[in-house]
Amino acid sequence: MMRKKIITSSFFLCMFVATSFAQETDSLLNKAKDKVKEKLQISGTMGITYEGYGLSRSPSGWTGYQPRRPWNQVRFNFTPTFKFSKNFSLPFNFNFAAIPTNFAGPYAGIKKPSFGQFITNPMNSFGLNPKYKWAELQLGTQYLKYSELSTGDIGVFGVGVDLRPKTFLFKFFTGVSQQGINYVVGPPTVTGAYKRRNWMAQIGTEKEGKYLFALNFAKGKDVPTSAAPPPLTIRPQEGIVISLVSDLYLEKGFYFKAEGAQSTFTKDLATPLSPNLKSLKPFIEAHTSTITDFAAQAAIGKKGKNLDLGVMVKYLGAGFQTIGYPFLQSDRLDYLLNTRINTWKNKMNIVASLGQRVNNVNNTALKAKQFIGNLNWFTQFSESFSLNINYNNFGFQTASGLNPFGIKNVSNDLGINPTFTFTGKKIIHLISISYNYSKYDERDVMTGLTTSNNTHTGLLTYVPTYLEKEISPDFSILYFYNNVPGAKITLATFSAALSMQAAKKKMRLRGQLQYTLGKLNSFSSNNNLIASCNIDFKLTKKLTWVTFLTTNYFKYGNEITPNGANYVETGCRTGFQYRFDTKKQK
Amino acid sequence: MKKILLTAIAIIITTICMAQVKFNFAILNTQPPAQLSEWGNRREVLTLIVTGQPGVPGGGQYKIKTEIKTTDGTVVASADLAKTPVFTLNSTGTPTILLANDVMPLEFMVFTGKYQTSLQRTGKLPAGNYIICARPVNIIDYTPLGEEQCKTFYLASTQLPILMKPYNEEVMDAKKAQTAIIFRWSPVVPTQPSPVTYRIQVFEVLPTQSPVQALRSNQPLLDKEVLAATQFIWQPQLTFLPYDDETKKLPTFIWTIQSLDASHNPVTRTDGNGEGRSEPLIFFVNPDKNKRPKKQD
Repeated sequence: MMRKKIITSSFFLCMFVATSFAQETDSLLNKAKDKVKEKLQISGTMGITYEGYGLSRSPSGWTGYQPRRPWNQVRFNFTPTFKFSKNFSLPFNFNFAAIPTNFAGPYAGIKKPSFGQFITNPMNSFGLNPKYKWAELQLGTQYLKYSELSTGDIGVFGVGVDLRPKTFLFKFFTGVSQQGINYVVGPPTVTGAYKRRNWMAQIGTEKEGKYLFALNFAKGKDVPTSAAPPPLTIRPQEGIVISLVSDLYLEKGFYFKAEGAQSTFTKDLATPLSPNLKSLKPFIEAHTSTITDFAAQAAIGKKGKNLDLGVMVKYLGAGFQTIGYPFLQSDRLDYLLNTRINTWKNKMNIVASLGQRVNNVNNTALKAKQFIGNLNWFTQFSESFSLNINYNNFGFQTASGLNPFGIKNVSNDLGINPTFTFTGKKIIHLISISYNYSKYDERDVMTGLTTSNNTHTGLLTYVPTYLEKEISPDFSILYFYNNVPGAKITLATFSAALSMQAAKKKMRLRGQLQYTLGKLNSFSSNNNLIASCNIDFKLTKKLTWVTFLTTNYFKYGNEITPNGANYVETGCRTGFQYRFDTKKQK
Repeated sequence: MKKILLTAIAIIITTICMAQVKFNFAILNTQPPAQLSEWGNRREVLTLIVTGQPGVPGGGQYKIKTEIKTTDGTVVASADLAKTPVFTLNSTGTPTILLANDVMPLEFMVFTGKYQTSLQRTGKLPAGNYIICARPVNIIDYTPLGEEQCKTFYLASTQLPILMKPYNEEVMDAKKAQTAIIFRWSPVVPTQPSPVTYRIQVFEVLPTQSPVQALRSNQPLLDKEVLAATQFIWQPQLTFLPYDDETKKLPTFIWTIQSLDASHNPVTRTDGNGEGRSEPLIFFVNPDKNKRPKKQD
C-alpha cells in the first residue's frame, strides 16, 4: 500500500515536474535559440507515463484468473538527438521503468535489484551515441545487429565504437548482457542467472545501397562464480561465432546476399576440458560439451516498382549456436520463394511465398518436413468494390520413429474479404464482409486417426464517414465457431467505436464498446463487456497529454467451478510526451 | 580325485574373484538426453551401483571399462583405460554409487569415425538404439574383475515445437483479434514418454522495445499451460489501439511456447536457450483495417 502511494505520489510529482520542465524547456530553448541561432538542433521526444492495473475477482478467494500486468508502473523516456553542427550529433536513448520486471528473462522473479542489475535489466535502456563525422562512440545499452547469423537480438550494456572512414567499416563493442543472480528456492522461486560478458567486432567495407563485405566476430562468456547458489537448470556457457557476410545491390533492383558462419559453443563450462575436441584458441578452449558447427544463408532476387521476386536458402547445422540469437532453433534447412506483383494499373496486388523447412537435417533425430505457403491477393475492381483473398498453409510431418505412425499436423486458412463503398453527398458508407475458414488436422501417432479442428469466422463491419462532421463511428458484428471432437466454442461479438475531435481540434477522443457472448458445448453462456477510451490532448504545440482507460468485465457460465465466477479488469495509462523540434522554428 | 579337487578349487577361486566387484545399472533412462555431456549432471540418467568384497586384487582398486555399441555390436566408443580414473571399493563393504561422469567420462572416451564427427558437431550421436556396457578391470593389466553389465537405450534429440499460427509478422485485423486469436504449433519431436505441457506466452512489445527485449522483461498478457494439445484459442479481452496518433505504430506482440516435461522442467536444457523455449514469432494487430497497415521495425 505504502509502495503504491509512493509510486502514485512520485508519478504526479514527476508529471508536475515534466509539465513545468516542458514549459521551462520551451522557454530556455527559445532563449538558447536566439543565442546559438541555428547551430543547435534538437529532435526526438521525452516523456513520462503511468500505468495502473486493477483486478477484482468474484467470488472472493477464487483465483481462476490471474493478473496480467504490473499493478503500478511508471515509465520514462528521454530520446532527444542534439545536433550541434553538420558533423556532430549526440543522440540519447533512455527508456526505463521505475519497477523493472522480468518474467521470461534471466532475472525472472527478482524483486529488489541492485544498481548494476537495474541498469543492465533487459527492461531498461540507457544509451548514448555521440557521433562526429564517421566516428560514433557507443555507450550504455545497445541493441546491435551485425548480421543474421552472428549477433542481433541481445541488448548489451557497455562501451564500443562504430567507425566508418570512407568505405571502411570497423565496429567493436564489449559489455555485460546480464548480471549474475543467485538462485532462490522461494517462494517465489528466482531462477537465477550467470553474469554474461559479451564482445563483438565487425571489420569490412560498405557503400550504402551498393555493397557490404564484412567479417563478424561475436563472443559471450558466462562467469560461473557470479551466482551462489547457482541456477539449478541453467548451465554457464561460452560461445563464439565468426561469420563472413556480403551484400551486393546491382542495377535494375537485383540483389545478392550471403553469409557463412562457424560457431564453437560450450554448453556447460563446468564440464571437463577435452583434448579430443577442437578448440579455437585463444578465443575458446574445448570442454566435453563443446560443439563446432556451421550455418549459411543466401538470398538472390530483384526488387522493382511492380515486381519483387526472391529466393532464400538458409542452413543451420545441428550444433550451430550463437549467444547473439539465444532463441535460434538450429538443425534446419529452409527454402523460400517469395514474390510481390502490382498489376492492372496498381489495382491488383499479389503477395505470395512458397517454401519448405526441413528439420533434423543431421539425422540426430526424426527428420521433420514442413511445407509453408502464403498468398494474399487484393483487387480494387472499382471505386466502390474491392476484394481481398488470402490463403495460408503450414504442414508439419515426421517419420514414425518408435511409434506406429508419424506426426502430421496441417494448418490451412482461407479468407475472403469483399469491401463495398457508397459515396453520398454528406456521407461515405463503407461495408466490409469477411469470412475465414481455418482447418487444422492432427494425426494421432498411436492410432493413425486424424482429428479435424475447424474454425469459421464471419465479420461484418460498417463505417460511415461524415464529410461535414468531425465524428467517425464504426460498427461491427463477428461470429466465431470452433469445432473439434469433444468441444464446440461459439463466440458472437458486437462492437461500436466513435472517434472525434474537440476543444478546437486540440483534443482527440476515441471510445469503444465491445460485447461478446461466448458458449462452450452445452454449458451456459459466458459474457464479456469491454469499454475503452482514448484521450489525446495537445497542451502546447510540443506537449501532449495522452490517456487511455479501459475496463473489462467477464462472467463465466457454468463451464467452470464456481459457477458464475467473474472478474473486472481495469487499466489506466496516462502520460505526457514532449516533442523536441527546433527545425520548424527556424 | 586330484583332478576333481583342483578343478573345484579353480572354480571356487574364479567365482570368488568374479564376484569381488559387481556392477549394477540401477537407473539408465531408456531415452536419455541426446546431448551426451548432459548425462554427467543428471542422477536420473545413469547410476551405477558398485558392490565388492574385501580381497580384490590391487587392494580394492579398479577401473571401469566402458563401451558404447550399436545393436549390431559395432563399437561406437570405448574408454581410454590409460587415462580413466581409478576407483576404490568401499572398505566397509557398503555400495559405491557412480554417475555418468564416472562411468562414461567423455574426456577419456574415444569415439570412432562418423560418431566422433557427429559428437564434435552436435554433441550428440546419430539417432538410434545403442548399448552401453561397463566392466570392472584391474588397474594394471586391465584384466576383468567382474562381469560386464549392459543396458540398451534410445537416442533421439528433442526438437522443440515450431510456431505455426499466427505466422511471423502477420498483421491481424483488430476486430477479429479482439474476439479470438488462434495459436498453433508443432508438437515436440519425438513423442515423449509422458505428455508434454506446452506453456504459451504472449508479450506486448512496447514502442520503445525490441521484441526479444519485451520477451525477456515484460509480464506476459497470456501465460497458459496446455497439456498435450497444439492449439489454443485466446480471447484477449483487450482493446487494440495505435500507441500514438503520430507514428501509427501498430500494437505488436511476441509469442513463444515453452515445452515442459512431467516434472515441469524444460524438455531440453542445453539446446538453444536452455529454457525449452521455441523460437518466438511476432505479430501485429491493425486497429483500423481501412487504413493501410504500416509495419514498424
